[in-house]
Amino acid sequence: MTTPLLQVRGLVREFGHGPGLVRAVDDVSFDVMQGEALGLVGESGSGKSTTARCVLRLIEPTAGEVRLDGEDMLALGGPALRRLRSTAQLVFQDPYSSLNPRMTVADIIAEGIRIHRPRESSTTVKDEVVDLLELVGLRPDHLTRKPAAFSGGERQRIGIARALALKPKLLVCDEPVASLDVSIQAQILNLFADLRERLDLTLVYIAHDLSTVRHLCGRIAVMQDGKIREIGTREQIYEDPQHEYTRALMAAVPEPDPRSERAKLAARRSAQTTEAGRP
Amino acid sequence: MSTQARSDTSAPVEVGQAMLSVRDLTVTFPSADGPIRAVNGMSFDVRPRERLGIVGESGSGKSVTAQALLGLTPRDHTTGSIVFEGEDLLTAPQDRLRALRGWDISYVFQDPLSALDPTRTVGHQVAQPLLLRRVPKKEAHRRAVEMLGEVGIPDPARRARNYPHQFSGGMRQRVMIAMALIGQPRLVIADEPTTALDVRVQAKIIDLLYRLTDEQGVAVVFITHDLGILAGLAERVIVMYAGRVMEECSTDELYYRSIHPYTLGLLESLPRISGPVPERLLTIGGGPPAPSRLPTGCPFHPRCQYVQPECRTTPPPLERPPGGEHASACLRAAWLAERPGELR
Repeated sequence: MTTPLLQVRGLVREFGHGPGLVRAVDDVSFDVMQGEALGLVGESGSGKSTTARCVLRLIEPTAGEVRLDGEDMLALGGPALRRLRSTAQLVFQDPYSSLNPRMTVADIIAEGIRIHRPRESSTTVKDEVVDLLELVGLRPDHLTRKPAAFSGGERQRIGIARALALKPKLLVCDEPVASLDVSIQAQILNLFADLRERLDLTLVYIAHDLSTVRHLCGRIAVMQDGKIREIGTREQIYEDPQHEYTRALMAAVPEPDPRSERAKLAARRSAQTTEAGRP
Repeated sequence: MSTQARSDTSAPVEVGQAMLSVRDLTVTFPSADGPIRAVNGMSFDVRPRERLGIVGESGSGKSVTAQALLGLTPRDHTTGSIVFEGEDLLTAPQDRLRALRGWDISYVFQDPLSALDPTRTVGHQVAQPLLLRRVPKKEAHRRAVEMLGEVGIPDPARRARNYPHQFSGGMRQRVMIAMALIGQPRLVIADEPTTALDVRVQAKIIDLLYRLTDEQGVAVVFITHDLGILAGLAERVIVMYAGRVMEECSTDELYYRSIHPYTLGLLESLPRISGPVPERLLTIGGGPPAPSRLPTGCPFHPRCQYVQPECRTTPPPLERPPGGEHASACLRAAWLAERPGELR
C-alpha cells in the first residue's frame, strides 16, 4: 500500500479561551491518496473551512498531525515550509475579493512563480503563465487586463490558474462554485474534472452543497460540530448513509424534481403534525 | 390532503381572478454608457393563494422586478402597469404605497442582518408595522410575540427582547418573515430568502412559506436563482433572462416538459444527488450578458445550441400555444414541444 499524499491525524483547532472556548475542529483524522478527490461537506460552522486552513497551515492547529507528501507540515518552518507549501495550493470561494484589483492577470498568476523561483527568466515565466491561461480556458489576450474586466466564472478560472502556477500536487478548493451563476457552476466543475485528469491532481473539495461534491469526489467526509460524522465512498454516502446527520442533510437538499420535492415537503409536514400532536 | 391533489386542482384559474397584474413592465436605469434596461416588457399575473416562482441568474432583472412590485424603483424610469387589486401601483400616490407596503403587500429580503436594525430589539422591529398604524404598544407587542412563535421561534416572549445579533441566520430570516406577516398581507414578495442559509434551515423556511399560503391564503412570489428550491414550493414558475420572460408555465411543465433552450440548459447543467453521475456535466457555454451590453435579437442566442438566423435579429415574443398555458419566448418552442425528454 502506498502512503497517502495527505495524512491528517487528531487535528484540533480551538478559538477563544475560558468559558468562551470553541473547538472548531475536534479530533479530525483522514487520508487523501494521490490522485483522489475528497469532499469535505458540512453546514456553516461545521469546521470544514477551518480544517482546510489548518491543513495548509494558514492558521495554526492547536493539536494534531498533518503530513503532506511524507513531510511533517507542522514541524517545518521558514524556507522548508515555503517549499512544501508549493505542493498544496488553495482556490478561494469568492472570486471577487481573492484577486488583487490593481494587478493584471499576468501578474496575479505569475506572483507565486516569482516568489518561489526568483531567478527564473521573465520569458520562461511568461510562457508558463500563457500555458496556465490556456489550461483553464482563458485567452492570451486576457493577460494584460485587470480582474474588473472579468465575470465571476472567468475570475474563478484566474484563481485556479494562480493556484496551479506552482505545479501543486494537492489543490484545496473552498466552495469554489458557491458564488457563481448556476449556468457557470457546471463549467467550473467540468474544469476541475479535466484538470484532475490532465495533471493527476489530488483534490480536497469543501462545500456545503452535497450535489456538487457528489459530481466531483469519489470519497466524502461529512462534518458537523468540528467532527467527521461519516466518511466513505460516494456510493456509501449517497446510497447508504449510516449517520443520522448525513441522512438529515441529504433529505434537505432541494432537487430540481417537483414530484419528489412535493413528496418530501408532505413528509416533513406530516412529521411536524405528529410531533405537535404528541402530548 | 396530498400536495399533488392541491396543485392539480388549483392549476386552471381564470385570468380575471388575478390579485396582481403586471403588464409590459420596463425598468430602465440611466448610466454612462446609455440607458440600461434591467426589466424589459415583463407581463404576468399572481392569483390569490398562489405560490409563484421567479427564477433567474445575475443580471436577469429578477430583483429589480421585486423592487418594482413594491413601488421601489424610480417612477420616471419605470413604465407599464402593476395593478394590485384594481389599483395601479405605478401611478398611486406615495402615501398610498406606504399604506400598502408592509400591510397588504410585504416583502422578505435576502440578507436579514442588513435589513434588521442592530440597535432595536427583535420584538420592537416585528411590531413596527403595527406601531406605524397606531396599534397600542402593548397590543402590538403581544401580537409580535405571537407572530414570532408562529414562524417557529422557540420561547418567543423572551426572544422578542433580544437583538438581531443574538439570532442565527435561519432565526433572523424567521424574524424577517414574522415582520412581513404581522400586517396580515395578502401578497408576500420574497427575494432569495433562503440563499444564505444551510439546507436544513432552508427546508424549514420553505415549509413555513408553504404553510402560509396553504393555511392563511397568502400569495407568495418567490424569487431565486435556484431551480431546486422552487421545485417543491412553486405552483407556477417564470424563467427570466436578461430582463425578459423566457418561459412561464406550471412547475411540472417547466421541470418535465420545458420548451425553452435556456431552461433546458439550466436543468441539464445541475449536478444531482441521485441518479447516474455523468463524466462531464452538460453546460451552457458563455455567461449571462451584462444588462449594459445585451446582444441583439433573442438575448440568449449567443449561448443557444438551437439558434436560427432570425434569432440574431428579432427577439421572439412570449407566446402561448392556442388554448395552452405553457408560454415560451423561443422560435423553436413548437419544435422542442414535439421532442419532450429527447434532448435531456
